[in-house]
Amino acid sequence: MASKQPSMFTNPVMRWVDERFPVTGLMKEHLTEYYAPKNFNFWYYFGSLAMLVLVLQIVTGIFLTMNYKPDANYAFGSVEYIMRDVDYGWLIRYMHSTGASMFFVVVYLHMCRGLMYGSYRKPRELIWIFGCLIYLCLMAEAFFGYLLPWGQMSFWGAQVIVNLFAAVPFIGPDLAVWIRGDYAVGDATLNRFFAFHVIALPLVLLGLVAAHIIALHEVGSNNPDGVEIKQGPKGNRWSKDAPADGIPFHPYYTVKDIVGVVVFLMIFSAIVFFAPEMGGYFLEYNNFVPADPLKTPDHIAPVWYFTPFYSILRAVPPMFGSQFPGVIAMGLSTLIFFALPWLDRSTVKSIRYRGTQWKTWFTIFIVCFLVLGYLGVKPTTVWGQFGDWASFLDTKDRATWVARFCTVLYFAFFFLMPWYSAADKTKPVPSRVTYGDDVKAVPAAGE
Amino acid sequence: MKLNKLVSSAFVALALVTVAPAAMAAGGPEVKMVGPTASRVDAESLQRGARLFVNHCLNCHSAQYMRYNRLTDIKLTPEQIKQNLMFTTDKIGDTMKASINPKDAKEWFGAVPPDLSVMARSYTTERLAAYMRGFYRDDKRETGWNNMISPNIGMPHVLAEMSGVPTVREQVFKVDGKDIKTNGEAEGKARAAFIAATTMSSFEHHVEKKEGKEEHHYIVRSIVPATDGKLTPTQYDVAIADLVNFMDFVAEPHKAKRVQIGILVMFLLSILLAAAVWLKKEYWKDVT
Repeated sequence: MASKQPSMFTNPVMRWVDERFPVTGLMKEHLTEYYAPKNFNFWYYFGSLAMLVLVLQIVTGIFLTMNYKPDANYAFGSVEYIMRDVDYGWLIRYMHSTGASMFFVVVYLHMCRGLMYGSYRKPRELIWIFGCLIYLCLMAEAFFGYLLPWGQMSFWGAQVIVNLFAAVPFIGPDLAVWIRGDYAVGDATLNRFFAFHVIALPLVLLGLVAAHIIALHEVGSNNPDGVEIKQGPKGNRWSKDAPADGIPFHPYYTVKDIVGVVVFLMIFSAIVFFAPEMGGYFLEYNNFVPADPLKTPDHIAPVWYFTPFYSILRAVPPMFGSQFPGVIAMGLSTLIFFALPWLDRSTVKSIRYRGTQWKTWFTIFIVCFLVLGYLGVKPTTVWGQFGDWASFLDTKDRATWVARFCTVLYFAFFFLMPWYSAADKTKPVPSRVTYGDDVKAVPAAGE
Repeated sequence: MKLNKLVSSAFVALALVTVAPAAMAAGGPEVKMVGPTASRVDAESLQRGARLFVNHCLNCHSAQYMRYNRLTDIKLTPEQIKQNLMFTTDKIGDTMKASINPKDAKEWFGAVPPDLSVMARSYTTERLAAYMRGFYRDDKRETGWNNMISPNIGMPHVLAEMSGVPTVREQVFKVDGKDIKTNGEAEGKARAAFIAATTMSSFEHHVEKKEGKEEHHYIVRSIVPATDGKLTPTQYDVAIADLVNFMDFVAEPHKAKRVQIGILVMFLLSILLAAAVWLKKEYWKDVT
């Protein structure tokens, strides 16, 4: 932590506190004297927005917990009770359900920013790893939370995911029973998922977020140019030792982030108040039917934020009579992100100075991710079937083949990266960040 | 109360006049829904819907999460609710329970009729309206009724007195060696008939195996509206729109309030946005 700094307070109470707890030190280190590059663009709003949604989820979650009953006989009813009889319960519940989806929207955009500007590269590998852990944790949190309303989709979605573990060779079936606490998803499962959702994972999540930010503030923020401002010239209007291209996080980025927060809240409120179901994507229609273990829905689809990975799972054909390869592929598709700092061998960080090869692969990756996401919501028959000529194939569903193709490209983006990123013809990186008028002054020579 | 008015006045005309054909496939045959789709309308519509609901639906179904006193939201007084709408309880804070004993219901219909509290959310209002207008006489069924939206459902047509007894016109298209020579032709003719139909219709394709050979049947069923009901077909459509409006209200009693608060929130946030943008601009003058 910060070394002892002269107190910035004149108020005697705050001075008293400051002598015993580093209020001044912390504020300087993380806000008023944390120098961030001045050239952040649109993509840099999503970190602070993710924090905002985290807080929203925790606060609304606390109020939901006051009225929710984690009991297979009462869970569905208690959610309806919240929606009808609890004062503004509907608002709290819609904020929480919308918040879950918006968390993923924000985090996906935040991750996309990291990919675009090479924010995972040295010296920010640990920030990226903490971020990947946050993402995994968030997926678990969303999965456990989705069981709680105890609707048809809650129940069958959980059934499908837990059954994935049953595909593990040898120990699979026992493992699945151990996870569920029963031979089928039931009251025991609901109770333990509730415990994970309201206490275990939020604790881990908060710890990881703290680690993510401490690591970030240790090395300093990246920026759209991928230029290290700490290696550039020193001295700005606030400090003679600070990087010349840095500005104090507070007040400059705090006031800027407030604009982002308000715009975000407008989108968020529009959903909460005018379309809380988002056409069945945020709250699935079938989830307004109470869980019924005897009635399997026609079409089980996970919530939209899991569908790219669900598509990968479905795309991999069973091998040796086991679904396990699909499970492995799905697991790998989420874990592969961890390896990114060591797969990228480019001499530049930012997409601005990368060459055609990387840009092409990046575009392919984004398109594949979106197509896989779309296909995961739909039945595999969505794009029809090949004709009779295709009878030698294991499935005639066109969508499955598209998903397979996209899955291969998805992994190729990662596994081929060491080669195409190194071979790519990059542009010269400027020595200083580009800001305002000097955007035009980016050296074009030497290309 | 003004809350329903606000949302709905715009929909009144739409809901009752528009003919909105919509095709949807839900695991069974493809169905073309012709006719009005309901949207939540004014308090009068909701009140008429409430009367239909308690008189006809609550005999067998419950709405176990809906309290009677919530009906004050649709401009009914507690006295009106007690005198006209409550048959199974005398406590206005009670929830809407079916008059039928669930055990009897299971014996009579094969399953306990589902709870209707959130039916409008899971089944959607469009399908509910079509469902209530999709009953037709079918002597093959134990109840004597079948339904175009949910084929072979256990529920009889409880509003038959109002609608009369609709029947169904069934056209089967298959290769017969005369007019239709190929399966493609059969499908084409069936499609044409399905598109041309002016009442609610379904399109079904099924394959029958006869002596080892596959026979493709393309079946188009169209409802023939009845004329022997207490209501004319148009009046019946209005009644169903009322009922569905009410069920939409039951599914989310706070919907109107939600939209109303939402408009206020959006207004306040836009003021905050202007202030936030100004603040950012002021500070960022320093950054060069």
